[in-house]
Amino acid sequence: MSIFIESILSGILIGVSYAILSAGLALIFGVMKIINFAHADFAVLAMYFPTYWFLQWWGIDPFISAFIALPLFFVLGYVTHRLLIERIVGTAEAETSTLIITMGFSLLISNLILIGWSGTPRIINQPYTMATWSIGPILVNRAQTYSFFISLGLIAGLFVLLNRTLIGKAIKAAADDPEGCAYMGINLHFVYALAFALGIAITAAGGCLMATYRPFNPFFGETIIIILFASVILGGMTSITGALLGGLIIGLIQQLSSFVLPIALQNVAVFTVLVLFLYVRPQGILGRKGRAV
Amino acid sequence: MTREGTTYTSSRWRRFLPILFFCGAAALVSYFLGPDRYTQRILLLILLWAAASSSFNIISGYAGQVVFGYMMFVGTGAYITVLLFKFLAITPWLGMWAGSFIAILTALIIGLPTLRLHGAFFAVATVAFPLITFPILNHLGLEELSIPFTGHGAASMQFRDMRFYVLIASCLLAVVLVVVKAVESSRFGFALKALKQNETAAEGMGINTYKSKLMAFLLSAGLGALMGSVYSFGLLYVVTTSAVFGLFIMVRVLSITLVGGVSTLWGPVVAACILVPTGEFLNSQFGDRYPGVQDIIYGIALIAAILYMPEGIWGKIRRWFRAAKSVSPVTPGAAENTPELNKPHLLFEPVHSKDAETPATLPLLTIEGIHKSFGGVHALKDVTLQVPGGKVTGIIGPNGSGKTTLFNVINGFLPPSAGRVVFCGTDITSLSPHASCRLGIGRTFQIPQVFSNMTVMENIMIGAFNRWGNVDKARVVAEQVGQWMGLSHRAYHQAVGLTMWETKILEFSRALATHPKLLLVDEPMAGLNPEESNRIGEIIRRIAESGVTVIVIEHVVHSLVKIADWMVGLDNGSKVAEGPPEEVIANPHIIEAYLGAKWRERHAIR
Repeated sequence: MSIFIESILSGILIGVSYAILSAGLALIFGVMKIINFAHADFAVLAMYFPTYWFLQWWGIDPFISAFIALPLFFVLGYVTHRLLIERIVGTAEAETSTLIITMGFSLLISNLILIGWSGTPRIINQPYTMATWSIGPILVNRAQTYSFFISLGLIAGLFVLLNRTLIGKAIKAAADDPEGCAYMGINLHFVYALAFALGIAITAAGGCLMATYRPFNPFFGETIIIILFASVILGGMTSITGALLGGLIIGLIQQLSSFVLPIALQNVAVFTVLVLFLYVRPQGILGRKGRAV
Repeated sequence: MTREGTTYTSSRWRRFLPILFFCGAAALVSYFLGPDRYTQRILLLILLWAAASSSFNIISGYAGQVVFGYMMFVGTGAYITVLLFKFLAITPWLGMWAGSFIAILTALIIGLPTLRLHGAFFAVATVAFPLITFPILNHLGLEELSIPFTGHGAASMQFRDMRFYVLIASCLLAVVLVVVKAVESSRFGFALKALKQNETAAEGMGINTYKSKLMAFLLSAGLGALMGSVYSFGLLYVVTTSAVFGLFIMVRVLSITLVGGVSTLWGPVVAACILVPTGEFLNSQFGDRYPGVQDIIYGIALIAAILYMPEGIWGKIRRWFRAAKSVSPVTPGAAENTPELNKPHLLFEPVHSKDAETPATLPLLTIEGIHKSFGGVHALKDVTLQVPGGKVTGIIGPNGSGKTTLFNVINGFLPPSAGRVVFCGTDITSLSPHASCRLGIGRTFQIPQVFSNMTVMENIMIGAFNRWGNVDKARVVAEQVGQWMGLSHRAYHQAVGLTMWETKILEFSRALATHPKLLLVDEPMAGLNPEESNRIGEIIRRIAESGVTVIVIEHVVHSLVKIADWMVGLDNGSKVAEGPPEEVIANPHIIEAYLGAKWRERHAIR
């Protein structure tokens, strides 16, 4: 029984880490209708810089780095959008073109990390990395617990930003009706760039948090991007709340599947559930019906 | 596929000559370069990546459905061949075909559900499959398979001299390119090109888009698997999941195809000749210090190709070539100098011959109690109609009265919620658009849906393929139709540059080329000036006189009165009037629908 509860708990902890990573992906897709293949690589980049290196060089704690990463990756995301994505958004084949271009960018990021910082798997060594809390017979990793609460805080912050500020409202309006926005004097390209930057920033922070308890290497992105896609599809593509739920559910499926399947086949379970679910509800958990998904 | 042409003429074979020449030359170059392994390895890599990218090009280029999980098929081919050889001692010469067959089956399983998705969703859905296969194979203990050395040499496709592999790869590339060329110049190829540009219009022209995409997908998968087999025997020796199911396969194939030129025969070959040696050279020079340098080259190639060269190297070359060539037949300004040609009525002749002698008295199309609702909105309410053969039937009604919905129900773009549609005695209620086009229902769209990146001639040919499978025959028919409709002077222009009038005429030509018994015309006069409207009306009359039954939707009542033999009024989804045109326009319901209740009263007083 306690093993079961432990699995559920760790499923929730991992699920929230996927949730925060996929929130950015859903935000970008929801606003611009483009899929960012390099999304997970930004998170991996954040695991190295600032998280790993700031700790190595100056002993800055990874949990502080997560907040340093926010503005850093906001700028990086903004520049990436302006240089690469902006020219394609709105063209006839934007969907496929952005997927391809971000795939190229994903290769650049992961291989530059490989060249710069070698392919050795890295691990963050802090007192809390291996430490656990014990609630009766149940053991919970401390790093994961801290990450969990910080993630919740960041997600709350994202919602406040999107719902309570003018910029957030502009982003939501652009997602709903880009043409209408343009007539209302909203600079679409600027709003798109902001949304992209915001999506990258939140994901990078999520990456920093994940680095505190998971070993990573330059190609870690390849492993998680597909999980992120699954979360976003499960959640209904355009909905951030949906993506959060999707991430959470996938974390749970992964952990609970280990009762019946070998650990190596976790993702097989995830995709089986995803495919079965989509047969029943093709628009995802919170997707609107009629959207051609 | 290539055999069909033999009885026709030997010149059909001539189009394959450059391919055979190139691949033969590659084999010869390899032979004379001597057995140096490094050189031969690069040659082999070029040929294999060219073959894989050209196979990928069929589904992702020609059919426009980018398969991000393409490594699934390369991997399947490699694994099946190696497994058969290792455990059952089946020679790879046979095993590679087994691998190809299994890859086709896999493609069927993947394609059946995913090909209904669009664009990026399709791409992402396909990428999930190899990423799942990866851990499953690892879990089964098949992460690494070494190919046992049997010493049988040629019988087990194991050679010391790399030149044999280059020879095999040249043959493989030849096979792939011949298939691509055959697809490119066939009706199937035209269908792919059409559906890539506009799936709705392609369906309307009698193309089964889903089936065409699936066929292209299977073809790509089968050919890709062959490359996987040769790749593992010629280069890998130890097959690992990451070497044949890895994302890097996708990246290479995608960059080579994009840089070379999407949906071109020679593009992937040219790009493979440039990118592969560059990557290998950099890898050998800097690989130990900068391990990911090769992938960085491919990454940059991907980004650069999308941003700066969307048509690819070969696309550019081909455009220069065409620009130089096409100056002679159509001199610029010729179109303006010959305005007479724009008047189709001068040249119009019956498209229909004897076979369409439907007795004019019988209804060609019967619509019985059609209901169509979208959620709570009832777009059509119990519409019952009989459309007489050989006549022009006009359907009028204000915007939103359900006219276009009725058309969409007739030719199958929308299934009705209730009711029946019977055409020539056949129930066509649940038929898809392409099937009803096959039966003889042609259609033009309110907003013209031409294939903008194809020439006028190619557009009309797409229609002609509905009746004539042969490319030459379809071209002859298209030329005739183009001439009748007065589009000859524009025949080799891209449809995207046509004027509104020409675009409309092109839609008519394309629909006529499908050789319809019934033509559905959706608001033909929208966006035209009065004089052009009259001409369109005249064209519609002539089409009807040639024996094609026509149904015209129009909300401009007075232009329709002049051409219609029979008229139906729709309002708010219901049929409110039916009869000869003069009667229908005097019908109080119609007046009310157009002008409001006040006007009906005034009219009644008068």
